[in-house]
Amino acid sequence: MSSHREAPEISKDPVADNTDTYAFVSPDSPETVTIITNYLPAEVPAGGPTFFEFGNDVLYKIHIDNDGDGRSDIVYEFSFESAITNPNTFLYNTGPIGSLGDPNWNKRQFYSVTRVDRHGKDYNVKVLGEGLACPPCNIGPRSTPKYSALAQASMHSLPGGQTVFAGQRNDPFFVDIGSIFDLADLRPFQNLHLIPTAAAPGVDTLQTLNVHSIVVQIPISKLTVDGSVPTNVMSSKAVLGIWGSASRRKVRIADGANSEHSEVGPWVQVSRLAGPLFNEVMIPMSLKDEWNSRHPVDDADFLPHVQHPELAKLLPVLYPKVFPNLEALSASREDLVAIFLTGLPAGVVPGFQNSTGKVLAEMLRLNVAVPPAGEPNVLGIIGGDLAGYPNGRRVIDDVTTIALRAVAGVTYPLVQKSYKPDAAAGAITQGITPLPFRSQATFPYLAAPHDGYDFPSSTA
Amino acid sequence: MKKLRRRSILKTGVGAPAALPAVGRAPHAAADGTSRRAFLEGGAGAAAGAAMILVTPKVASVALDAASPSASADSAAVVTKPSGPAPHEPVTAYVRNAERGEVTVMSGKQETTYRDPVLVKRLLDAAR
Repeated sequence: MSSHREAPEISKDPVADNTDTYAFVSPDSPETVTIITNYLPAEVPAGGPTFFEFGNDVLYKIHIDNDGDGRSDIVYEFSFESAITNPNTFLYNTGPIGSLGDPNWNKRQFYSVTRVDRHGKDYNVKVLGEGLACPPCNIGPRSTPKYSALAQASMHSLPGGQTVFAGQRNDPFFVDIGSIFDLADLRPFQNLHLIPTAAAPGVDTLQTLNVHSIVVQIPISKLTVDGSVPTNVMSSKAVLGIWGSASRRKVRIADGANSEHSEVGPWVQVSRLAGPLFNEVMIPMSLKDEWNSRHPVDDADFLPHVQHPELAKLLPVLYPKVFPNLEALSASREDLVAIFLTGLPAGVVPGFQNSTGKVLAEMLRLNVAVPPAGEPNVLGIIGGDLAGYPNGRRVIDDVTTIALRAVAGVTYPLVQKSYKPDAAAGAITQGITPLPFRSQATFPYLAAPHDGYDFPSSTA
Repeated sequence: MKKLRRRSILKTGVGAPAALPAVGRAPHAAADGTSRRAFLEGGAGAAAGAAMILVTPKVASVALDAASPSASADSAAVVTKPSGPAPHEPVTAYVRNAERGEVTVMSGKQETTYRDPVLVKRLLDAAR
């Protein structure tokens, strides 16, 4: 969760595993949009001796659809390469790393950023940056004593008022994975489960674990279909479809002679992610990797899993007599179709829409005309905060609670006013209060990664 | 049946002889520049690499013919030790469907499937 190791094949390929995607109007720079795609799930901070890095053989992409057809109109591509400066040491660093150019730092990574614009049948390809340095992983007080300075130096300006960062951060996604995947153990009614347990507080599973993040901040005018900065929430031009992906070459040849490998063939998409929990909760295990390989424009093929989600059928079974109205609900879940596949049309939530039309495509849909919230509500739109999920997704949004409540029926009255959600549906909570250090207010909006000395295990 | 020439196999798609009808080509932005799907699947990553790689098989095939005039002949394969590590982006072929005589050739970021029963038979013979 939200897309950590969510499919059988991608779970074996962490550097290509897209764990979360975020997209929001930057709270401290509201003329821009910030997009974050995270990879490498559940990095234990004590990751020596090699620690973690992006895949040099993976093509990372951020896609933007600005005309509602479920296809990429703008793609940001990120390619990485590593360098070992001292081939004679086993160490990641041979002394404190004081700067990005410090000779003590042995294993480094650099990347390029390329923007591809589609104009009808033509493509405009522009390299925005090359040789951009990633920060080191956060090792500990002896090796990375001034980590924030290293991270700050890794924030690069790109042409056109754009900013990029790529490197290790604390994983901001807060969820009790152990509880949810133990047969949907939900709070506050653990004692009402078919296999009851005593009430217990939620556990923020990823709290001390890290992730590798690509963060790019882009002026809104560089993303909209006509280059405008929309101010009318009801304008279709204000809605952007956004998702991330990772691709590998089709063939990899391991060559024992030199311990390296060769690659050939076209790029093949192995991971994608837009809305949180979609692949986890909606798509059956047998189809998860196929879903990862497909593109949003193909998502009509998965429509039945959204119209009749398995979890909505499971909840009344796992919690007898707790979800009677949900149990009786057999109609197609058009509320979930709107949330995940088309966006919310005008007239459903007063003063808001993020519809991209009739094309069924699983994308984050961000209405850029909605300004950042002064006092954000972690429950986003269902909490009355139009700047939060499912209007894009902010780092602070409690998407697990939102998604569970939605599947449990809270959002069905949006399309069928006579439906009365079960009281339990609106009471579902994770029982987690994320600690303040789980995010930060300024770019890259993700908190510094935990270091391996102070957080030697995930239970620290 | 027209004899198979190694050089023709090394060429990728463009100018493929009649004996090697291309039955499928992977979408590729640089190759046709028109397909929306190609944009989704290829993008600039594909475009950037393709120009470089398209040259490689031609160079290799010319060098092969020059070094060994008999290479074009339909001679039996000879088991040999690899002369070095695998190249950076080796031209790679695999039998996609033996019964239909389909072989897929990848070069750089391009992929083309040919119907070539002669080549498929030779590959299968070599695999025994």
